[in-house]
Amino acid sequence: MSRAFDITLLLLLIACALAVIQTKDLLGAVVIFSTYSLIMCLIWQHRGAPDVAMTEAAVGAGVTSALFLVAISKTVRKEK
Amino acid sequence: MKRALTVALLVVVAIPLLYAVAQLPQHGSPMTPPYTHISPRYLEKGPEEAGAENIVTDVILNYRGFDTNGEVTVIFTSLAAVCAVLLGSRKGDERPAGEPSSSAVPVSDVVSFVVRLLSPLIAIFAVYVMLFGHISPGGGFQSGAILAALVIVTTVIVGRKQAEALVPVRIRRLLQVAAPLTFFVVGVSGLFLFGDYLAYPKTEGQMWLATAWLIVIGIGIGVGGAAVLASIFWTMGDDS
Repeated sequence: MSRAFDITLLLLLIACALAVIQTKDLLGAVVIFSTYSLIMCLIWQHRGAPDVAMTEAAVGAGVTSALFLVAISKTVRKEK
Repeated sequence: MKRALTVALLVVVAIPLLYAVAQLPQHGSPMTPPYTHISPRYLEKGPEEAGAENIVTDVILNYRGFDTNGEVTVIFTSLAAVCAVLLGSRKGDERPAGEPSSSAVPVSDVVSFVVRLLSPLIAIFAVYVMLFGHISPGGGFQSGAILAALVIVTTVIVGRKQAEALVPVRIRRLLQVAAPLTFFVVGVSGLFLFGDYLAYPKTEGQMWLATAWLIVIGIGIGVGGAAVLASIFWTMGDDS
């Protein structure tokens, strides 16, 4: 059960990583990237590293997404 | 000719590197030094030797305190770099033509309500993580990130002007350097009291002091980290 959970999370992680590269709409890419961070956070927690999980959730899914959004609002939304 | 030279140089560099990598112990092997004596030592002696029940805190703030000192300096340097790039070349710097700024869109009532409801809880959680980092999972970096996220959502709701008004510029400057400054103060105290930079008290009777230092550094990193991350957000969002 635990193994199946791990494999599912890792597959989702890879899917998210590929989706971020493929997405031309940068706003969408930021949303997918924060999903990536949340999945990564679950993996950390599941591997027994709650300290890292906490950082991943706050920095990866929260703060960097906000910084990316500001950067997009200052530049352009579509990848060229 | 140039191309051939480049390839030759790459090969010359790659061969020793690959040779060195081949000499490394197998990845995950239980016979490597970290598994044979470093980890067991941390796990067994950490809580009594380093002053914190949470072994992660023991490692990052005590055993590997010097590394963490460098890391908080790097975080502060990143803020300095952002300010240098974004504030230095403001004059005559036209924003590229694109969609209008997202700040033109009013915040929805749902978002506003949820943030107002959750903000106090997030704040309490951040302070808890900061102060109890030596016992439970968490610590300075984590609480700093949570606090920064809180400041950022608050900025989104009440607007940048009101959010910035809460922290006067002079205090903000002090908060931004809080993390390296705390480390420096604790480090120099160690230098004078125990003869080494970042040396912690080791004897049985002085463990309370080691724990107190870990808490102080945790507070410093938390407040400083939050100030740096929030300042980066504010600097990037600066419209003027």
